[in-house]
Amino acid sequence: MVEEAFQTSVVGSWPRPEWLLDELRRKNDGEITYDEFSEKADEAVLLAAKYQEDAGLDFITDGEQRRDSFYSFVVDKLDGIKLMTMAELMDYIKDKSRYEQMLRARDVPAYAIRTPVVVNRITKKRSLALDELQFLRKHTRKKIKVTLPGPYMLTRASWIEPLSMKGYDSREALGKEYARLLREEIIQLRDAGASFIQLDEPSLTEVVYGDASMQTFMCAVITSKVEPKEELAFATELINGAVQGITGVKTGLHVCRGNWSRKEETLLSGDYAPLVKYFQQMKVDQFVLEFATPRAGSLSVLEGLSSGGKELGLGAVNPRTDVVETPEQIASRVREAMKYFDPSHIYLNPDCGFATFAETPLNTPETAYRKLLAMTTASNDLRKSLDWGSPPRPVPQVTSQGRGMSEG
Amino acid sequence: MSETELNGLSLTKLQELVAVVSKEPEAAAPLNKWNARVKWEGGFKSKAYVREHSFLLDEPSNLAGVNTAPNSVEYLLSSLGGCYVVGFVLNATKKGVKIDDAEVVLEGQLDNIPTFFGLSDKGHPGFREVKAKLYARTKADKKVVEEIWKETVAGSPVSNSLSRVVLIVPELSVTR
Repeated sequence: MVEEAFQTSVVGSWPRPEWLLDELRRKNDGEITYDEFSEKADEAVLLAAKYQEDAGLDFITDGEQRRDSFYSFVVDKLDGIKLMTMAELMDYIKDKSRYEQMLRARDVPAYAIRTPVVVNRITKKRSLALDELQFLRKHTRKKIKVTLPGPYMLTRASWIEPLSMKGYDSREALGKEYARLLREEIIQLRDAGASFIQLDEPSLTEVVYGDASMQTFMCAVITSKVEPKEELAFATELINGAVQGITGVKTGLHVCRGNWSRKEETLLSGDYAPLVKYFQQMKVDQFVLEFATPRAGSLSVLEGLSSGGKELGLGAVNPRTDVVETPEQIASRVREAMKYFDPSHIYLNPDCGFATFAETPLNTPETAYRKLLAMTTASNDLRKSLDWGSPPRPVPQVTSQGRGMSEG
Repeated sequence: MSETELNGLSLTKLQELVAVVSKEPEAAAPLNKWNARVKWEGGFKSKAYVREHSFLLDEPSNLAGVNTAPNSVEYLLSSLGGCYVVGFVLNATKKGVKIDDAEVVLEGQLDNIPTFFGLSDKGHPGFREVKAKLYARTKADKKVVEEIWKETVAGSPVSNSLSRVVLIVPELSVTR
């Protein structure tokens, strides 16, 4: 079916309104509870969803409006884990000078980098994302994508040995706990109506390229440099522990090279080649990858991935630029991907979220919306060009405000 | 936060200190004098003793030390940063401003280190310039914070000691 080709989605996050950031700060300062904050965030979720619907996406998210970042939000959902700043953790870090360089490269104070740290056995206070899904489900007829931090990312970020040993004997034991929790969550989300569940594992590129530049700071991955082969095998085991054998919902894995700054030189560079062999072993349906940035290298390294029936979530627009890609530019990139993947296995998405970290959005909602619109226009044009005899979906009508009408 | 405490400081104690110094300026005289003793420990290592405290000094391995502790110029930078933190919190507290987080990041540029080794007669081995950036998280009005930072730099004993010979470039970043 032509509708199955070039389906569109976002990677997850959408810029939060300033009033929501004020409420988020109040929550983080303990002035309001998570439930009180979440109630206020409902309106922001509706706004984020409306932008995505108007752009004509096939899958939408809640814009991660209830999260302060794509992974640290778990402290609101789990006991045994707490948000700590780099300033609090500096005494536990062996390679302090490396992290000092990274903080300087990012021009941020140590108190501004916060990461969830395991300080006891982890138990669920509430589901990780079920509340997000249930609210969005009530307000859209679109297919819903839910993003979750991957088990390796969570393990890497939250294992600080002197503190975490209180809950777990080893990093491996903690990783397995996360995989178990995520598996339980994915099944709950599927049963509650999620169509697509994406695990975010950006630190996989840090494993292979982290040494290439000291000017990186990969999503608060604060443990020391690790042995790539062992780490990637460990990550593969954890990811499979979370998803293997689950049917009835599309599963995906997002891997990028960092998305904290518009300064491209501070982000990692290098193609996906060292990861492909591990991708082939991972039991997810789709790999949601960057390709709008030249730092991601060539699509050709993915040759062989499609033979296992894997789908590609093709990074078609750069979330960090003011310039909006044209549908022609996007279509050209898709045609390149068609050398390696069947059209029905190619999805279009931005390279990463538009506001991975709540306080540092990478774009305005207006520009983000225009980028999504360019993406769906390219998707429609490509569907027409396939000439499979089925009509393409309706093209969103751009209003004077630059927004389209919902096709809900 | 209690009514008598702000930014971790006792307002009562601060008021008492200010009252004593303003009524009897000679009471501040002991605060004008500070002491330290530094003992050689072998190699480039030494140990400093100040009041009831002590700490090590060493050079990094690429300067023939064994890297067991910061070196003197790093302590100098840290001293400036620490002085700014104290001054900033003091001035903020005096104005009733709550500080949620504060951090000073410093970078010093020596004029010409080869002169230290006697390998050059150009320039000098001291700091030519020190950049000091204060990151502050506070809900206070940015103009108020800028004023506090200005007062802090102007009133800092270490900054004053250095700024008469070294160019100090202060900078401020405020977030909520």
